Amino acid sequence: MSRWRYFLMRLGLMIPVLFLVMTIIFVALRMGPLDPVAAILGPEGTGGDAVAIREQLGLNEPLWRQYLDFIWSLITLDLGQSWVIQEGRSVNGLIMIYAPRTIWLGLWAILLPLFLGIPLGFYAGLHPNSWADYLASFSGIVWLAMPNFWLAIMLLTFLRRTDGTRFDWYQIGPEIRSIIGTPPLDFIAITDGFSVLPFWFTFDLGGFLVAVKLIIPPALVLGSASMAAELRIGRTAMLETINSNYVDTARAKGLSNRIIIWKHVFRNALIPLVPIITNEAVLLIGGSVIIEYIFGINGLGALFFHAAVQGDLPLAGSLIFFFTLIIILLNILQDLLYTLLDPRVGYER
Amino acid sequence: MKGASEEMRLHDRVRSNPRPAIVWAVGVAILVLLELGRIADGLVRAGDITRIVLSLIASVPLWVGRNVAAELPGSIGMLMGNVAVIITTALLMLVIAPLILRLLPGGSIADRHNVTNTPEYRLAVDLVVVTGLLLVGFAALAYTPVGALADAMSRTIGDGVRTVGHLPTITGRETIPNEGHRLPDGGWAGTFLGLSPAWAWGIRVGVIYGYAFVALAWAWVGYTTYRSYYRVADWTPRDDSINRMRRHWWGLFGLTVVFAFVVMAIWAPSLGPVDIQHNHFQPYQHEFTYLSEDGEVESILHGSANLDTRSQGGASTVGIWSYDQYDRWAPLGTATNGADLFTVLAFGARTSLVIGLVSIGLGTMIALALSLITAYYKGLIDVLTVVTSDAIISIPAFLFVLLISVLFQQADHPIADVYDGGLLLALIFAAVYWPGLWRSIRGPSLQVAEGEWVDAARSYGQRPMTIMRKHMAPYVATYILIYASLLLGGIIIATAALSFLGLGVTHPTPEWGRIVDQGRSYVGTSAWHVSTVPGLMIVLVVTGFNALGDALRDAIDPESTGGGAADATAAGGGG
Repeated sequence: MSRWRYFLMRLGLMIPVLFLVMTIIFVALRMGPLDPVAAILGPEGTGGDAVAIREQLGLNEPLWRQYLDFIWSLITLDLGQSWVIQEGRSVNGLIMIYAPRTIWLGLWAILLPLFLGIPLGFYAGLHPNSWADYLASFSGIVWLAMPNFWLAIMLLTFLRRTDGTRFDWYQIGPEIRSIIGTPPLDFIAITDGFSVLPFWFTFDLGGFLVAVKLIIPPALVLGSASMAAELRIGRTAMLETINSNYVDTARAKGLSNRIIIWKHVFRNALIPLVPIITNEAVLLIGGSVIIEYIFGINGLGALFFHAAVQGDLPLAGSLIFFFTLIIILLNILQDLLYTLLDPRVGYER
Repeated sequence: MKGASEEMRLHDRVRSNPRPAIVWAVGVAILVLLELGRIADGLVRAGDITRIVLSLIASVPLWVGRNVAAELPGSIGMLMGNVAVIITTALLMLVIAPLILRLLPGGSIADRHNVTNTPEYRLAVDLVVVTGLLLVGFAALAYTPVGALADAMSRTIGDGVRTVGHLPTITGRETIPNEGHRLPDGGWAGTFLGLSPAWAWGIRVGVIYGYAFVALAWAWVGYTTYRSYYRVADWTPRDDSINRMRRHWWGLFGLTVVFAFVVMAIWAPSLGPVDIQHNHFQPYQHEFTYLSEDGEVESILHGSANLDTRSQGGASTVGIWSYDQYDRWAPLGTATNGADLFTVLAFGARTSLVIGLVSIGLGTMIALALSLITAYYKGLIDVLTVVTSDAIISIPAFLFVLLISVLFQQADHPIADVYDGGLLLALIFAAVYWPGLWRSIRGPSLQVAEGEWVDAARSYGQRPMTIMRKHMAPYVATYILIYASLLLGGIIIATAALSFLGLGVTHPTPEWGRIVDQGRSYVGTSAWHVSTVPGLMIVLVVTGFNALGDALRDAIDPESTGGGAADATAAGGGG
């Protein structure tokens, strides 16, 4: 099987997967133990409201009809509306408002571990069995075992305690009044009307720095597990590559160490990191609930949490479908990257 | 194997050289006698749980029947409901029948009566016969006096075991009591040998862990005895794995931590400095005595005393390694509600372990069965399993678990009440995490399905079920251990995270994540220990499981590289 055919096969397999996901969500929400209308209205909902909502959600239709409607609206990305959290607003509109905050968090939660974890791992791999290696490996292990919610609490307490000391988190860089809260993302704005400059958006450096400063602690916590994973994988990848035959060949050819590392070793060591980096997205979506809850960020994770806890099942169901869609797309992207990066993929199967 | 020949059974081999086996058995007998009460107590509990599970299973047919009757109108509904009850019962029996078949001593029923020769029919005949017998048996139990007789018999046995369960044990609270009060002249009353409560408690903890580690060591001695005296083979591939494991220091560290965690969960009632029933579950129904400031010995309710020992950053905070105002020993301080933190944490370990083991056990069963079937038959069922597992893996696990647990909790579903939501959580974890387990053993099971011995067994005419069970499962099962150990860490974190959010395991069952949540606002104060200690314990235990998983991988599959912990944490991720 050629690698492109393999890729297409994987792509084709995503269609039944997507249908099954929609079916699972449908079964959980419409056939599960909790009646959606009772969840929305709470125990003291009145009869008239219940009938109206039941009608509007289409719960009076036969089950197969509900199923078809449900699937169809999800396929056409018509995600319905919220019933409790922000009554009457469309889910698509809510996602547009809440998503940028989560993306901002996720962006930094991917960037920070990338620029900390991989270099540390490569360094440890280049100096195996040194003290630096042991320290990096050990902290990687502990990092991996640390629950995010606990780490977040400890970090917050530490930062709060710095108030008034020499290392005062409130004073370093741009001044902030609270460590937690939604980072202001209005530092970047699209100007309406004509602009003389070639840029059609404005950029506010001060606001940008505040947004960065607010996001660094949660992003560090959210990225902690991936950082540990990247460190470990980076270390083994580097160790394996550096001991492989082609490095010996390159060395025998008289290539300098720097060229060997940057041109040959580095590229090959990156291959096993591809799934780690895409896996991170999954970790981020799962972890965003807790992190946004603790750090008071009004993003998609917090929205989902409140929707689930306050019985806004249509919103929660739509959001979980949205997340799943992103993960499926990321999996496709990962397969594509594999197909491009590693010529061996699909050959052995 | 000295002087043992291959034809001899284990029984004969032991008889020909009994000394090492007797020495070991005597050791086991002593260890069992020391803890007879606790073992009997455990049996009673296991019996209770089995009864609950059986009654749940038994209620399924009626439940299905009710639902069918409700869907259809009038008398047709009634009729169809009854038919559904019978059909569901028969189906349940059909599921149980293969288990009974395997236990039957003489093998196939059809064979003994020469009904048929073709293997497929043979199986079908066996199943039908056993199912029929089961139905008759259950009808007899339900509608004739036989049932009452069986009930009385099981009750008598249960009472006997229960009586044994009250015997004192070497690790019991009564054997080494640490709850007492100060005497006016400076000594202690009611504690072990009149020592201070801290010392008495320390000795008890030492005895418990000493006993547990001696038992573990003795199990190892038993294995080596078997290996050097009674095993026929001089060497098996598994010996190499075990030897690699023995030299794996990181893995031994993990094993020690995991074992200490398991001991904490099993001995939780004895480990705490106070009785959890008195101190945490029913604080207003139990009293204890203390020496008041006037020099009088007075008694007070645990609940009233707890009000003065709440660790909320104020003056009432009881820190680590100290006595509270009422001279109760608190090795890890008190929780925010004034209950002893160590006691609550020990039971929290039990909660985590039970949830982890139930979910991993169920998930492993599903994954193992599916992996054998898909690897053996391939084709459509393989594709279906791939699609299903891909779909479940694509849904963000933590969010899905959160949503489902909210659904059941808000609907007040009876299953959400069992173990304060613990059982529900375990079931959801099993449903969500089996695809990961299945994937982790897909490679090995595909490999083993290609093995020549499987081909050979097939050409002998062995049944597919037997081939899978005898020739594939043992090889695949060792691989599942690796991932299961790593996943357990992830499940512990996820359970704690859900409880932290106020879902998952709810009050009063102790859970580590919920304690972290309760102490959250006081981390910056003198009551910092409430959140910090459980968090550190989670880190330690999860590190232990990760280390054990890594070591198992190195021992079982030394060729493999990387991965492991990172993948599993990703699976459990979100906490």
